[in-house]
Amino acid sequence: MSIYSQSYPGHPPYGAASYTHPPLQSGYPYPYLHSNVAAPPPPPQPVYHYLDPASFRREFTTRLSELQVNSRPLIQNLSMLAQDYSKFAEIVAQCIEEHIRRVPPWMKLPAFYLLDAISKNVYEPYARHFASFVKPLFLETYGQVDEATRTKMEEMLLTWRTGSPAGKELFAVPPQIAIERGIWGDSAANYNSFSLSGRVTKAQVLSELEYTLGQKERALQANPYDTTSQNHVNVLYQLRKLVDAGVSQEELQQILNQLRTLIRQVPQPPTSSSSSNPTWPSQMTLPGSLSSTSYPPSSSAPTSGQPHQQHVIPPHAVKAEVGIFNPNAAAPQLAASKDNIASLLSTLVKAGVVSASTSVTPDNTKASAKVDDQDTQRADLEREFSRYYRNSILAQKIQLNSLDIMRKRPNVVNLLYDQLSLQCKQCGLRFADTVVGKKRMEEHLDMHFRQNRKATQNVGRGHSRSWFTSAEDWSHDLPPDVKGKGRENNTRSFNARVAAEEVAKREAELRAQYVVVSPGDEAKALSCPICKEQLKTEFLEEDEEWVWKNATKKDDRVYHATCFAEATAVKSSFAARLRFEKHGSRSGTPDTQSSRTTPPPDSRISRSKSPISPPRESKVVGTKRKVQSDDIAFGGNATPPFKKAALCS
Amino acid sequence: MTSEAKAVVKREWKLEPESEYRFEMDPGTTLAIKLIVGHAEIFGFELVEGKWYLFGYECKAAVYTWQGCTIEVAGQPSTEYVSEETSMSAYANLHIAFEQMRVRALRKLRGSPPHSDEPGTPVEPPRVLVLGPENSGKTTVCKILTNYAVRAGQGWSPVYVNVDPSEGGWAAPGIVSSAPITGPISTYSPANPLGSAATTTPMSFTSNALLPLAYWYGHADIRKNPLLLERLIRNLGENIKDRFDNDPESRVSGLIIDTPSSFASGQGSNDPRHRLIKACIEAFNVNVIIVVGHEKLNVEMQRAYSSQLTVVKIPKSGGVVELEYAYRERVHNYQLHAYMYGQIIPAPAGVTNATIGGETFTDLALAPSSTVINFGDLSIYRIGAESMAPTSALPIGAKRVVSEMQPAAIDPAQPGSGLLNAVLALLSPLNPDENERYDEELLDLTISGFLVVTHLDIPRKKMTILSPNQGSVVGRTAVLGSFEWQEQ
Ligand SMILES: [Zn+2]
Ligand SMILES: [Zn+2]
Repeated sequence: MSIYSQSYPGHPPYGAASYTHPPLQSGYPYPYLHSNVAAPPPPPQPVYHYLDPASFRREFTTRLSELQVNSRPLIQNLSMLAQDYSKFAEIVAQCIEEHIRRVPPWMKLPAFYLLDAISKNVYEPYARHFASFVKPLFLETYGQVDEATRTKMEEMLLTWRTGSPAGKELFAVPPQIAIERGIWGDSAANYNSFSLSGRVTKAQVLSELEYTLGQKERALQANPYDTTSQNHVNVLYQLRKLVDAGVSQEELQQILNQLRTLIRQVPQPPTSSSSSNPTWPSQMTLPGSLSSTSYPPSSSAPTSGQPHQQHVIPPHAVKAEVGIFNPNAAAPQLAASKDNIASLLSTLVKAGVVSASTSVTPDNTKASAKVDDQDTQRADLEREFSRYYRNSILAQKIQLNSLDIMRKRPNVVNLLYDQLSLQCKQCGLRFADTVVGKKRMEEHLDMHFRQNRKATQNVGRGHSRSWFTSAEDWSHDLPPDVKGKGRENNTRSFNARVAAEEVAKREAELRAQYVVVSPGDEAKALSCPICKEQLKTEFLEEDEEWVWKNATKKDDRVYHATCFAEATAVKSSFAARLRFEKHGSRSGTPDTQSSRTTPPPDSRISRSKSPISPPRESKVVGTKRKVQSDDIAFGGNATPPFKKAALCS
Repeated sequence: MTSEAKAVVKREWKLEPESEYRFEMDPGTTLAIKLIVGHAEIFGFELVEGKWYLFGYECKAAVYTWQGCTIEVAGQPSTEYVSEETSMSAYANLHIAFEQMRVRALRKLRGSPPHSDEPGTPVEPPRVLVLGPENSGKTTVCKILTNYAVRAGQGWSPVYVNVDPSEGGWAAPGIVSSAPITGPISTYSPANPLGSAATTTPMSFTSNALLPLAYWYGHADIRKNPLLLERLIRNLGENIKDRFDNDPESRVSGLIIDTPSSFASGQGSNDPRHRLIKACIEAFNVNVIIVVGHEKLNVEMQRAYSSQLTVVKIPKSGGVVELEYAYRERVHNYQLHAYMYGQIIPAPAGVTNATIGGETFTDLALAPSSTVINFGDLSIYRIGAESMAPTSALPIGAKRVVSEMQPAAIDPAQPGSGLLNAVLALLSPLNPDENERYDEELLDLTISGFLVVTHLDIPRKKMTILSPNQGSVVGRTAVLGSFEWQEQ
């Protein structure tokens, strides 16, 4: 027999009645409870008053039927309902099992997430109830779902190894082993072992990779200055790419080995890796942080502020924790992990799949790099998604004329229904069954959740029609509040970000322009005719010349390149305008008002509002401009403030 | 017992693919429809299976299905039938053509590599002017095209422009306005044919919380003051242009412009419609004109504009019914009532858990505020026409046309001021800088909302104002039009 029968001294065995669950809120930093829903979850005081099991079953079934996608709010609500009514645990278990068996494959995973959430959050008595059917249900479901879902299920399964409050198997040992065998074959049974026997599948390695990655990312979020984790994350990303691309069986084994070493973090003497050593479970992070790896939305949720609390973790495991999460931990541990990384890398290099040059240089950049990375990934996916749509749209042969419009058979059903197979059951809006589509649907459901909650909170309050928006706000798409906005908010901010990047790039190019100072003129102060600011000189090392930075020469006059570009490119001046809005003074474009002062119907051009006037009129607006350009860091170092401001605008 | 006599009337209708169930309703009745199986949509708004949707206020609509469906109808419509003669396939083709324009425009904006397109294909997003005579279903076409665009899953938010002042759209009649549409627009009452302007009520549908930009024309008839209408159209165009400049990506979704039927046929050569159509084309940079079921107008538009833009004629939508004057009057009343008080549509007998256009709660009641203010607290003007000064009072050489645009202050103390029961538009605040003010500034200000004068107390120089919310109107400026409204 393996380690499974063992338990930690001083800790109750799995499922023992003596175990008392800590109060939900203080107990686990559970991701559902820290979703991007602004307000804290309602106090445990139940708002429902079900008296009899039948009504409870009805209510729970109804709510469960709404769980069609991975919606944190819904999962959270259902978990809390389960917690409040743990006396009906059997009913809950029955409902969930029936639901998972009944619903179409694409709806099964969210229900498994619910099962997972209830088990980890509430634990008693639910895990016990679920344990009775979790193996067949899991394996049966696994056989019915698509590849992507399988991966998610595998990730979840891995968290179950240590999902109990004591850091042990969430549903007891036998189901855990049985499920893992069913999925990965016999080798899985040795998951605690260093030396793997039997075949290792790519899926298994990827699962464990994802799992480890999730842990490391969370560690990094908790402690952005943890350069060790930063490095781990980088390497793991590379590893994932490699494994994804395909490596040999031998390498798979090696990688798996390395992974397990890495995640253990505890410098283990060789003897401790014998099969009788119960070290695997001890490597666990915390139930909360672990489980969150299986919930994609948590990656975007601001969980970083959540302290990783430590509960019921055996003393030596706590030490391991410190190794992972605390950069101030003992140096030997850090060194050990660095060695691991090195060996991981060398494995990769040996395999010839990666060149040594692409290896990660340990860089101490801030953790925001990670966030940017996610943004980029999302952006890439969005682009791919719209590229796909674009191609399917352009493939339709239709001419915009009366004849073609009348004659052709439209293929609109495919576009409006078939390609968008996920439907919001509240409002009917559809989403594509893709990563991006799911993400959008999730955001959309979050929006409904917030609105619905607002609606219930507002019952009995007098509502009224709002004033219409002002021209200024309307033109800038500024809602007076965020009411009714959901999906589009995200698209908006994403678009705004793309635009802001565009602007920042152009800005940088302009600022890179320079004009060589005529010899002898170095000491002469020269100001930009537009903004009246003095032009800054700088000595260019390579060319050994004095130049005016951010400068351009026109008709023998030297302007700021940025000022000149604005003044001339009035038409396509959204860049300039963005720059103005940046420092928050939308009133910085007073022309919106004043432009209405000369409003004969046909004078559109005269009313077009350049943020500034062309050079020769500059005297009039000079003063105003000057103040603004000071704010905008014309003199200071250029781009960062722009980007930042644009992001939060 | 009457309650038993009025027993639940529920019927199932099985609709073949590409057919629609059309219904009309009597005043004071309500109707509920549920999709039992299949896919169905109402003017491009998709229904969710198993949900009851309520209809009221003499709503006339049609449930269309591309692939066939079964629906259940509760309540008694005044007319109901199924038709297979629809123009949906033409509308869908238009949608696809517009999607092509959008994706090309987006590609250009993002600088993506060119597709294997024929060279010379336009890369401008669709800016569509929809023209058609009375009862041709223009608004229906606009709504379907808009709904299809927002349903595409591409994050489009086309700007819906309504330059038909007789059509209340998302608020009340008398305005020309525009709103970006980000979610499907439902149809449940003629009081909100285009969704609803925002309230403080949390809504599931963004189309029930629209943030329109509105200018006050004040009349239903475009001939009442065409110069003013033209100016407002151009103002609206300027704001839309600003918006597109501020967010180039929003430009890609394009514009759908709904027009008055009086744009379609005129009364003689002096008719202002040509001038107004031209104003729309210029103000909104129109690149496609859609003529709904009117050959003469199609020819006219082809001749005038086919060199600079695309003119497409489409058939009128099948289910359109003739609307008599009295009906339009009632709808105007519904609209003002809905603007102030919201709408409650009781479910027919036997229907529970019904939704209004998908909103899960049916109690859309709003609380306006009624306040007594002094005459001097609110400056009230009228634009042009009725206030025209006698010729002798005009400056020498000035033409009468000038006074059409002249704001004239109204003294509530004067008998016959026309203020009692009048609908006023509350203007956005004037320019705080006195030096920036100008005579016709009032014409160029958007409006904050509508007010109604419910009582005039001339001896005490006080009036009672019904306002949509608690916001103070003291010190503000309002403009009178020719709409009146009385609570019934
Ligand atoms: Zn929805
Ligand atoms: Zn300058």
